[in-house]
Amino acid sequence: MFDLNADDELGLVVDTARKLAEEVLVPQLRDAESARAVAPGLLDAWDEVGLAGLELPQSLDGAELGCVARVLVNEELAAGDAGAAIALDPYGPALTTLLEVGGVDAAGELVRVLGHGRKRAVLVVDEDAEIELAGDLLTIDAPWVMADEVGAVVVLAGDEALLVTEGWLLEPVRGAGMRAAGAARLIAKEAPIAARWSSRDGASRARARARLYYASLLLGVMRAACDFSTSYAQEREAFGKKIGHHQALAFLITDMQMALDGARLVVQEAAWRVDRGLPCAGEAASAWAECIEVSRLVGPNGVQILGGHGFMADYPVEKHMRESRALGLLCGGFDAAIEEAGHVLVRSDTPLALGVEGAL
Amino acid sequence: MIEFAIDESARRKIEATRELGEKEFRPAGLEADRNGAPIPVGHAFFDRCIERGEGRTRWRGLNPSPGDASKPQSLVTTALQAEELAYWDRGVINSTPGPGLPEGNVLAMGTDEQKEKYLGPFLEPDRPRWACFAMTEPSAGSDAAAIKTTARKDGEGWILNGAKCFIGGASRADWILVQATLDASKGREAQRAFFVEQGTEGLGGFKIERKMGLKAYESTSFTLDDVRVPAENLLGGEARYERKAGFKAALQTFNAGRPIIGANAVGMARAALDEAIRFARDHDLLKRDRVRDRIETMARKVRKSRFICLRAVWLADQQRTNIVEASMAKAMAAQIAQEATALGLELVGSVGGRGDHLIEKLYRDVKAMDIVEGTGQIQRMIIARKLVGLPR
Repeated sequence: MFDLNADDELGLVVDTARKLAEEVLVPQLRDAESARAVAPGLLDAWDEVGLAGLELPQSLDGAELGCVARVLVNEELAAGDAGAAIALDPYGPALTTLLEVGGVDAAGELVRVLGHGRKRAVLVVDEDAEIELAGDLLTIDAPWVMADEVGAVVVLAGDEALLVTEGWLLEPVRGAGMRAAGAARLIAKEAPIAARWSSRDGASRARARARLYYASLLLGVMRAACDFSTSYAQEREAFGKKIGHHQALAFLITDMQMALDGARLVVQEAAWRVDRGLPCAGEAASAWAECIEVSRLVGPNGVQILGGHGFMADYPVEKHMRESRALGLLCGGFDAAIEEAGHVLVRSDTPLALGVEGAL
Repeated sequence: MIEFAIDESARRKIEATRELGEKEFRPAGLEADRNGAPIPVGHAFFDRCIERGEGRTRWRGLNPSPGDASKPQSLVTTALQAEELAYWDRGVINSTPGPGLPEGNVLAMGTDEQKEKYLGPFLEPDRPRWACFAMTEPSAGSDAAAIKTTARKDGEGWILNGAKCFIGGASRADWILVQATLDASKGREAQRAFFVEQGTEGLGGFKIERKMGLKAYESTSFTLDDVRVPAENLLGGEARYERKAGFKAALQTFNAGRPIIGANAVGMARAALDEAIRFARDHDLLKRDRVRDRIETMARKVRKSRFICLRAVWLADQQRTNIVEASMAKAMAAQIAQEATALGLELVGSVGGRGDHLIEKLYRDVKAMDIVEGTGQIQRMIIARKLVGLPR
């Protein structure tokens, strides 16, 4: 029955992520942004607690904790630094794409290719890049991937997942956000496709999981923006009182928090569907759209509450505003999400009827 | 364990609620809306309510009802039923017979004699019976501390004077629990509630208001003109107030009423969504991107507000404080439901202008959800007190 409490094991994982975010990622966020990398040693530490392979199957020495765990951990880490959250995950949504489309063997291929090096896998979704396929050769131009070095490229194109292990070029770009993970344009001309798998249902679920991956990062960034600006509003005074006590700002902060809470719940519910094997494509797309829409409220208003200070890099809210907007561009962004969610919805006459499939 | 499923028992209850709503509530609501008047007292709909065993008090545990600490039904299930019933007709919910709103106050604060006298007739009601709670006044709605109806001690009894408005079912109620103040300058602390029985001298001027929506139940104004009630009609008795018992404190810990109103709004928004989809399908509009986008927006917001409401009642089920979450539930769900019905109307276009389309009715009905039990603005003030320490 409806329950929003994480169990003990998951609670511990989430607490670990929160502690890392608060104690390490937040103090270092500007350094990591400048260095385009997290501090040396952090990756090893994260590996040691076993959270680098959060969704990796146990047969591949992973924790196999599933999508709910992923969205909870991502939110915690991204509330510290979304770029670092990406940098700490060697597989990213490339792993779940291979798992869903190709199964454990496909995921095993990715693990083997990445080995014990520090290069990460990146996922490129067809909506975010120009892609041409000719036989087993891939030509691709992805304007932005969040990495300076890449160990494997996974492409989700239509119903197919492609694993590419060589033949690309990375052009460094500045990156609108998440710079701790790096930023590059990824280009390949007729790169060999090392392996490919196809599954219509798998690709649909892979897209759902990729959206939820980024949605949960977005939740974290928005939470940081809300928390910081809310605290600030209780300290800064103007016109003889705390700025948060002026109703215009009090209500704005209330609406930001409400919107964030709603977005979090739809993300968690969609993730729960993924873990239960229930239909999830429409729900995940809808949750992603909701997060993006909310980010357009929360990101800029986090800055607004701080006024001129918010515009300056002395405070993190400008970073939250940039990063929340940039994250929301992935997986085809808002338009692709509502397109998919809308198509799924109208298949039914009563899409939100209660009690269907035991779900809400 | 994070879990969004509902169990078999809840699913069966929702299914039963769906059947009742479709068979009884929707037709009764449409009829009242067409007539522009509340369902009349002698309507067979109310007799069937009594035949089904509704309209009874949960006092003495004879008629178990959701929300009792001793009962297994969770508030989550109650909220889901509230959503489902409002999907079929929200106004009809308020029209149904029973001890209604004041029952909770009487159970929490009433003396044994008061429970016997005022709830007793609702144990095995011989006919549809109503009771109601009268707080709102023409000049005091959300600001309940500002009510002006006075209670003056007169010998052993009390004399009440004032005017109440928008009171659900007042003209048909066996008794009205009237909120009055001993001293208007002292706010909530000086307020007391009194049982005023129908037919008491000085109670009169009943005027059933004409409303934009929710026409199935009566919202009534009335006056209290030197209404004399005996001492035993003071809810809880005087000793209770001398002890300053903690009813108010209990209310401040968690709130179930606001998320239930929110759940009602979710149900109404869902009804608008389903009608919009049906219309679009019938008129071959679903292939249009803009139409699908509108439907997607409606559905997305409704889902979100459903979970926000469930979170609030789930916290209450866990005996955890939910003041912020309860206010969020009501503020968000009511607002979203208005948007959803408005979007639905855009979709049906000028058909909505005829005034006989269900979405048009929902659009009128749902506005009240953002007003009753504290407007959306009041809810935001409550939330802001917690979030940023907004002073009272």
